[in-house]
Amino acid sequence: MNELTIAMPKGRIFEEAYQMLIDAGFNLPEEVEMSRKLMIEIPEEKIRFILAKPTDVPVYVEHGVADIGIAGKDTLLELNRNVHELLDLKISKCYIASAGLPNTQMNEIAPRIATKYPNIAMSYYKEMGEQVEIIELNGSIELAPMIGLADRIVDIVSTGRTLKENGLVEYEHITDVSSRLIANPVSYRMKSERIQDLVSRLKKLVN
Amino acid sequence: MSSIKMFEKPLGMRDTLPAIYEKVEAVRQTGRNFLRGHGFDFIKTPSLEYYDTVGKASAIYDASLFKLVDSQGNTLVLRPDMTTPITRVATSKLLKEKIPLRLAYFASVFRAQQTEGGRPAEFEQMGIEIIGDKSVFADAEVIVTAIQLMQSYGIDSFKITIGHAGLLNCILSDYTDHKEQEHKLRTLLVERNYVGFEEAVESFDLPKTKSDALLQFINEATNIKAIEDIEKYVRKNDALVYMQQLANLIETANLSQYVSFDFTLSSHMNYYTGMLFELFAEGSGFAIGNGGRYDGLLNHFGSEVGATGFGIRVDRLLEVLPKFEVEEETVAVIFEAELFTKALQLANELRQQGSLVTLQSKDGIADEKAFALNFNRTVYVSQEDLSNE
Repeated sequence: MNELTIAMPKGRIFEEAYQMLIDAGFNLPEEVEMSRKLMIEIPEEKIRFILAKPTDVPVYVEHGVADIGIAGKDTLLELNRNVHELLDLKISKCYIASAGLPNTQMNEIAPRIATKYPNIAMSYYKEMGEQVEIIELNGSIELAPMIGLADRIVDIVSTGRTLKENGLVEYEHITDVSSRLIANPVSYRMKSERIQDLVSRLKKLVN
Repeated sequence: MSSIKMFEKPLGMRDTLPAIYEKVEAVRQTGRNFLRGHGFDFIKTPSLEYYDTVGKASAIYDASLFKLVDSQGNTLVLRPDMTTPITRVATSKLLKEKIPLRLAYFASVFRAQQTEGGRPAEFEQMGIEIIGDKSVFADAEVIVTAIQLMQSYGIDSFKITIGHAGLLNCILSDYTDHKEQEHKLRTLLVERNYVGFEEAVESFDLPKTKSDALLQFINEATNIKAIEDIEKYVRKNDALVYMQQLANLIETANLSQYVSFDFTLSSHMNYYTGMLFELFAEGSGFAIGNGGRYDGLLNHFGSEVGATGFGIRVDRLLEVLPKFEVEEETVAVIFEAELFTKALQLANELRQQGSLVTLQSKDGIADEKAFALNFNRTVYVSQEDLSNE
């Protein structure tokens, strides 16, 4: 049996996904010492976890240094990496939406959109037949309309509280987001039995 | 944009230093001998082609093409693949001389990189094309040749996944209500987005029998051991019989252990019309090669005959190649100026014996010890040694 390398996002999603693997019957230690370790070996199951920044998971998987990984649909849409999307784990559900100050129209000449998802925002507005200018930010996106940097923001929304607290309203629902199980195309074939087994065990839990 | 430094190369362009060069050369030799032994004739086509002919017909995304303009104002492309130029030369010339043709190539292709580093923009491809044969034997020959070629490199841990474009089209159109849905599902399969496929099926509002069939299909069809397992999804059709024959031929060649079937396999290369496949090997994170039947491309060039083939990426082949040892001896003959004749004679003798001999004057070397480290053996031709004899 070959070793299976799984790229996992650090933080809350790791814990949820790890618990799912335990529930699916994988023999993993109940308590895993996270601290600052970036790699966790589970010799009993021949599994190795790599802990990565969530947005980097698809990169590890595409290059094949991880066989499979868990990544948010937002990251997958934004990076558009060549990976197989195998299963919707239905954890950390939220959605991507556009938002702005209430009762405002977008600038007619050059609407400006602030976002940390430039590709998603660009292709969404393209689809809508609207040419927009993208301003890429890395955090506190809600600031942009408040201080007049942009007409709209495109960002991830889970409860909508942050928007509300900053006096913004949601305009368009762009796409639903949840964590997905992804696989490297070569690993998907070369380690197909292990991966298929994992998928079918997780699938039972999800549905 | 920062200014270009003297050491920089265009994005994705790579130097081939001696060690890699020799490896590539060995790969080329083995491949060449193997393919010629199987009746394939090597050909070469120009690096530059017209955008309107080869550029447009090629299945490579437009944004990946290197484009330039010639002195008449025509747009040219650096060839992005070899199949399209070979189809051009076959349909316009070679097919008039011989049908079917068996052609092989080992050549650089050029694809501009968009996302990031880590990928070459120029890389070598080796492959074959059988043009003018629509029979299942031609497809079987392509697959068997691909497998045996891998074996000839001493690679054993690899897999070929085979699908069929026609069969997939048939399934998609049977179980959807209109073309748009069919197209959407095919796009999702090209991206290998199985989750998206299921979501799309559920959003289509299809009759339950149809959506259930599609959902079951996506679960089962990615990994099929025997062709019979796919029969329940399709009405009796020729493609199914064809795939059964193909599977039997591979079985007869005793190579089934390398092959699996995936009937969801779909390529953005829309000229694939029949059987298509991908080649994977342990050691590389990316597919090593792919191939299939591309009668559609022949049609594009105005020919009705069929064609099938495969291409392997040499850079990825190198990643999975078992350790490769050179058995040649390198010798440095270092001589003092007045003994050049003697040194030349010695060097020629050693070359006759098969060594790779570097003839170097002592005066030209800055650090003798460091220089000698580059060779298996160093021989000095000096006055002292002569007087000792």
